[in-house]
Amino acid sequence: MNKISQWFRKNRTLIITLLVLTIVYLLALRGLEPKDQVLTTLRGFSMGAIIFIVAAGFSLIFGLMDVLNLAHGTLFMIGAYIGWTIIVRPDTAVDAITPIALLIAGFALLPLMDVLIERLNIPEKAARIWPWVGLILVIAILGYLLPKYPVTTWDVGSYESSPINYAFAAGQGTLVAPEPELFQGVSPVVGLGGILLGSFIAGATLAGFAHYRRYSRKEAKVIIDQGLPHTAIWISIITALIGIIFYFFNDPLSDFLLDLNNAWLFLIAILVSFVSIAGIGALMEVLLVRPLYATPIYNLLMTLGVSAIGIEFVRTIWGNPAFTMPRPSLFAGTGEGCPAESLADILANKCSTISILGGRIRTYNDVFVIIVGLFILITVWILLQRTRLGMIIRAGVQDSEMVEALSINVRRVFTLVFALGVGLAAMGGVIAAPSMGLSTNMGQVLLINALIALAIGGLTSYPGAAVGALIVGMLQQFIVKYGQIGIPLPFMEEAFKPTPPLVPASTVLLMVIILLIMPQGLFGRKE
Amino acid sequence: MDNLLEVRDIHTFISQFHILEGVSVRVPRGKIVTLLGRNGAGKTTTLKSILGLTPPSQGQVIFDGQDILGQRSFNIAALGIGYVPEHRAIFRDLSVGENLKIAERKKGDLDRKADIIFDLFPDLKRLLHLGGDHLSGGQQQMLAIARALVPDNKLLLIDEPTEGLAPVLIEQMMEAIRQLSSETTVLLVEQNFIVATHLAEDYVIIEEGQSVKEGKIADLINDQETIHRYLEAA
Repeated sequence: MNKISQWFRKNRTLIITLLVLTIVYLLALRGLEPKDQVLTTLRGFSMGAIIFIVAAGFSLIFGLMDVLNLAHGTLFMIGAYIGWTIIVRPDTAVDAITPIALLIAGFALLPLMDVLIERLNIPEKAARIWPWVGLILVIAILGYLLPKYPVTTWDVGSYESSPINYAFAAGQGTLVAPEPELFQGVSPVVGLGGILLGSFIAGATLAGFAHYRRYSRKEAKVIIDQGLPHTAIWISIITALIGIIFYFFNDPLSDFLLDLNNAWLFLIAILVSFVSIAGIGALMEVLLVRPLYATPIYNLLMTLGVSAIGIEFVRTIWGNPAFTMPRPSLFAGTGEGCPAESLADILANKCSTISILGGRIRTYNDVFVIIVGLFILITVWILLQRTRLGMIIRAGVQDSEMVEALSINVRRVFTLVFALGVGLAAMGGVIAAPSMGLSTNMGQVLLINALIALAIGGLTSYPGAAVGALIVGMLQQFIVKYGQIGIPLPFMEEAFKPTPPLVPASTVLLMVIILLIMPQGLFGRKE
Repeated sequence: MDNLLEVRDIHTFISQFHILEGVSVRVPRGKIVTLLGRNGAGKTTTLKSILGLTPPSQGQVIFDGQDILGQRSFNIAALGIGYVPEHRAIFRDLSVGENLKIAERKKGDLDRKADIIFDLFPDLKRLLHLGGDHLSGGQQQMLAIARALVPDNKLLLIDEPTEGLAPVLIEQMMEAIRQLSSETTVLLVEQNFIVATHLAEDYVIIEEGQSVKEGKIADLINDQETIHRYLEAA
């Protein structure tokens, strides 16, 4: 009894705040028709789920490494574009595997190059020049060969082969991929071998640049003592083989993916997007974030720069930024028996909409996204609470130095968490794409929402991220709804209709109010 | 040579500040050595430098016959060094049990050592499921030492174990350290002169980032001049 009252006293502000928010929510509900009550609440949950997926990774990264990863939203967006490519143009995705794998094969050898450079003991003058020579060689080789590599893509300019048209066809299940292209002007052997060679030189060059800057003699000695990095060599060989194998099995694989049910493609898209962005994240942590841990402000600027580069990267590769993405066929049925009246209907007819109380909710946007959000919430929670990695993360958030002193390789945990965090965002991108559509600024909008959610919930608190995301999503959807029907206010002739700019403004306002009452956020911990 | 740890003339910078300007410490196997000196002399930094948490820029740190300077902290710790930091650094978001579990280097370390640990600190056994943020100062200190006992450590670096504890608890902590020193070697930083002299056999005095004097505790107790010069409040 005593304990309960003590707990109440300790969390008084939190309880009152949550109570007030609940009352506001109930009041907001009262002004709506029954069907809109359900609809708006579900949309709020759905928006909250997507915000949460972004916020969770961001807060893990910030909590553990004190890095405000402003590129998080951009990686979310790139994830969505990768997912789009897999679903709408699997043939392009397959085409791209080979050159990417060959490039990875070279860069994976970085640790080996490091050792070799140290063992070769190149005289200082040569050491200063050769990386530059390497760089020029790389640019020449890759610059010549990569554009010649046959990747069948879309053409933003013509309607026939535009992304929109392909997306529509993919949604209808009538997608016909254009004829695959072939190497032009060079034989495939030269093309593949050249790219591989170029990537090896690129790896060596990068290792060279980093090597002479980074190592004092002492550290170099430790590296030599460790011997050859076998893992790096294996990764390199395997990725090179993957690249070459995929080159020869390109057509059958493309055909297989094109014929595949698009629900499976969607799953593959989520996985591929997660893995590739996680890989990019790991690379980013090792090469860019790590050297700047000592100067957090540079890290902030660096992530901002990466974010800008990412957006331009998407513009270069994908062309016109605004795409639509078809929903997985499981949630796209419009034929007989739809909109669904019961659970059995949904399962039998794969309806895209469900009718409730005379209104229609969209199966994918308003139901499936929420389920995925909950699934991710629980999975990450279990990871944090029940696994050794989670234990290390929770400990590291507080004191990573002490964790290192317990003979745990904290740097590796940092890389892993960074990869997982941005991978999660990429997954969120694919999941959000069918309901939000793709555009180059989808990431920024979501990142800002996620930041507000985290400020409300408490920056490094996992439950805080969930509650904050839910509050932000809910508030936005209710404001949107009331923008249509208006809020009846006393002493005013006409109902007050919130205009669209008030949607983001309202969340910022709520954040300000909550931070005034609880500067740490709802679930933040006082430091 | 039967020094488990030998620190030779290390220099450590923290950002641009030259904190250690030549510290040498020898820790013979199986003994307790204490670092003495005034506040801010560099005792804690010496421990951190040994572990590589604040890597020394020059000098030598030889542990168990191996030069460990320049290695990463987790590698150094894995050689068998346990660290009990100042202010205990208990993980608040982890339960007492998890605080112990996280220190495992091999699966099953904790099960193997459970008897020893709970013999030494019976209190911890009933607190296992309590959150790390609900412990009293004494309990935190017990947990911090217990955590360093989970893996097989040859050397324990213990920083200010009795700081802020009630006299009864200080007694208990001293008894615990005495008991565990029969198994492992200890390098101890202790402000409390009485505690330090009761526990340790050898001492090293650090003054303004330099080790200025070393010897047997038994000799130090009668050496009023040294005590006055280096240890009494200035």
